[in-house]
Amino acid sequence: MSGKPSDSIRKNILQAAWLLIGLVVCLFCYILYIECAEGQELTHHPLNSRGLREVSGVARGKILDSDGRVLAETDESGIRRYPYGAAAAPVTGYVGIEIGSAGVEHYSAMALSGRASADSHIGPVAQLFSDAEGCNVKLTVDAELQQAAYDALGDRKGAVVVLNAETGAVLAMASTPSFDPESAAENWEDISNREDSVLLNRALHGLYPPGSTIKPLVAAFALKGGNVNQKEIFDCSGVLDVGGGYTIAESHGEVHGKVTLREAITESCNVAFGTIASRMGKSGLESMFSAVSFNRALSGELDSPIAQLPDYSALSKGEIAQIGIGQSTLLVTPLAMAMLAEGFANNGKIMKPYIVDEVISSRGIVTSRAVPAAWSGSIPKTEAQIIDGYMEEVVREGTGTAAYVNGVRVTGKTGTAENSSGNDHAWFIGTAQVQGKKIAFAVLIENGGGGGIEAAPIARNLILQMM
Amino acid sequence: MLERSGVQLLLGPVLALACGLGALMLRHWPGIDSTVLALLAAVVVFMLGTEIFLSHRFRRTVKFFPIAVFLSCIGLLMTARLVPALFKMQLCWVLVGIVVFTSVVMARKKVLALLDYQYSLGALCLILLILPLLFGTEIGGSRNWIALGSITIQPSEFGKIVLILFLAAYLADHRQVLTENLRRFFLFETAPLRFIAPLLLIWGMAMLMFVIARDLGSALLFFGIAVFMTYMATGSKSYVAAAMLFFTAASAVSYMLFSHVRVRVAIWLHPWQDPSGMAYQVVQSLFAIGTGGIWGVGYAHGNPDIIPAVHTDFVFSAIAEELGFLGMTAVLLGYLFLFYYAIQTALLQTRLVYTLIAAGCGTAFILQAFIIAAGVTKFLPLTGITLPFISYGGSSMIASFLMLALLTILEKEGNERVG
Repeated sequence: MSGKPSDSIRKNILQAAWLLIGLVVCLFCYILYIECAEGQELTHHPLNSRGLREVSGVARGKILDSDGRVLAETDESGIRRYPYGAAAAPVTGYVGIEIGSAGVEHYSAMALSGRASADSHIGPVAQLFSDAEGCNVKLTVDAELQQAAYDALGDRKGAVVVLNAETGAVLAMASTPSFDPESAAENWEDISNREDSVLLNRALHGLYPPGSTIKPLVAAFALKGGNVNQKEIFDCSGVLDVGGGYTIAESHGEVHGKVTLREAITESCNVAFGTIASRMGKSGLESMFSAVSFNRALSGELDSPIAQLPDYSALSKGEIAQIGIGQSTLLVTPLAMAMLAEGFANNGKIMKPYIVDEVISSRGIVTSRAVPAAWSGSIPKTEAQIIDGYMEEVVREGTGTAAYVNGVRVTGKTGTAENSSGNDHAWFIGTAQVQGKKIAFAVLIENGGGGGIEAAPIARNLILQMM
Repeated sequence: MLERSGVQLLLGPVLALACGLGALMLRHWPGIDSTVLALLAAVVVFMLGTEIFLSHRFRRTVKFFPIAVFLSCIGLLMTARLVPALFKMQLCWVLVGIVVFTSVVMARKKVLALLDYQYSLGALCLILLILPLLFGTEIGGSRNWIALGSITIQPSEFGKIVLILFLAAYLADHRQVLTENLRRFFLFETAPLRFIAPLLLIWGMAMLMFVIARDLGSALLFFGIAVFMTYMATGSKSYVAAAMLFFTAASAVSYMLFSHVRVRVAIWLHPWQDPSGMAYQVVQSLFAIGTGGIWGVGYAHGNPDIIPAVHTDFVFSAIAEELGFLGMTAVLLGYLFLFYYAIQTALLQTRLVYTLIAAGCGTAFILQAFIIAAGVTKFLPLTGITLPFISYGGSSMIASFLMLALLTILEKEGNERVG
């Protein structure tokens, strides 16, 4: 019927066998890649509903603030209650089988539902420690400060971020308009379609032109790069011709006259910063934004695009000057500006922001505790210290005096950002030394008007609140 | 008697099965169906008994069976955990599979004699493939089932075995004409059409399945088996190149003609564009794999049941979530060992036809595991197909044990010649 298999057939079989084994090995490497590179992202993906599915008989844990005040808990009838309601909604987020989840409710879903965290890296062994009750999640947020920030924004649209400048811990993260997480599922149709986007956490996801609040950063890197020195005198005639028929004007038609870099910051001189940015050029601006890692997004417990940087190659001369005063195509989030403020108060060091402090099992054992870590970007140390001094003067005698608090070292920078959606956005970013704690903050009011008038008083309120 | 048997190889899987099921049962205590326990005991006894009996009879360790036991124990564990209602049926299928396996191995002379009827085998293969096209019932989007009363059969699972037997016999018989006196035909060197006609017929059938029955997985598997076996027998790169060209052309044509093919490709390329709609299954499967991580979340502690069809086509994702990368590796290694022994067995044979059968069966196992594992991990476009021995289902289980029986027969055959 058939002959003996010859050597050539053995060779063919081995070749084919190696090919098949090679295929399996490729697949194997690919799976390993998914586990290692994308595992975290897939585990915490908004559409991954694993954390939502209640294990039968497991009571969902509480979300607590840094002092143990309850931000979210499940009552006896199984209803999830949020004592701070809309004020803390950007922090807590919401949860519901039909509507999914967001915020800490989403990020810490595994811990809250008593399941071993996929991040624990001890695999099935973690099941031994799982409980009939979910873990409580303690945040870095101060509920009183959160409430004060929310109240200060009032019925204006905007966001407030307060960070612990030394650790990057989020002390408050308010965003208005907000929604009541308790009734989110009932009103889902309404809140998910509202024109004023109540579900949008403006602190993390709102992208706005930074306006003059970008100037401290530009000043620091221009000093570092030798584009300017502290003694140079700019002559501000009120208008800067940036070529191509475009000009940069001072707000309210002011004329600053002869100004140094210090005065250019305290008086927020557009002509000086338009000039400085033009000197830095595309490459200077590009290396500045990458030095503070504004080209990287933040994922995990606080997910934020951080910033939307301009397409450098397409920038005209006028646009380069515009970026120096925080306009043109540069967009940033309030969180990013708070991080920048933190850098100036922190000798240039920026910390990676975080919000989940501890995960505490129902038996009171702390199963995980946050470790502050540095952000990948930073500001050069010497220059950061110089600018920090300038920013103190902004509050003492410049555009930011509305944030002045007697007896407290407050630094800041105002911003009044032109935009296409109407009235200017009001910004105020800065730091303060309160009760032995250094805080950094960013306040933004959409279409609020002048930063020094509208945003700076909110910062002052918060500092007073903390005292 | 026990020393020579591979019974110690079975202890691990059987113990794991006992522990896992024990944990599940404690959870549902005392609401346990005693017939399930009896069936379970029967399955374990048959597993151990078959290995001891065969090892004793063949006077050497039977290698293939322990691997099948390992994989089916994992399959039983996953079925019990994913769809408890089907656990009893799966136990029955494993039991039937083992009985079929033992019977076929015992009747090995008769089975090998079947190879003399190669054209009948070819015809049978075609019939098995055409049956569902004519009388098929559509289940889960694929028209590859035949319903006989309350039982549904997937003829393609069995068609696969007949295909291997037919191809082995045909290729062994016509090796000379297929490799000598080749004529140039465009860029390819081929034998005259009448000799390669059966091969073309098989390729064409695979494509028909692809297009009409929407059974992309089986089509890919059939095609792959045919191409690999042809290369093994002839070593001709022309045939492989021709097959690839044929495959590419057919894929391109069906991509243009059929929306379901375009949908599959779109899901594969851009799963995140419609993660809650068409790509739901694949996206959920990726979530399961990502959540599982290296160690897995633990048996019966995950949520793989979110994935549709998790107990059949997507059982691999459930293993990835609950048993982790380690569990997944163990399963893939199981198939690799099966393949390795199959190739070893193939090389031991003194008759070409046996060599090709052993290599073909090995190829079928590894290719099938690869196709579905690659599909659920989004390595390749998803094509629904079962994971041998592990997925729930009778046709798949029995067909896998039949192929295992062929390998075991040939292992015995090869070792006898070598002495």
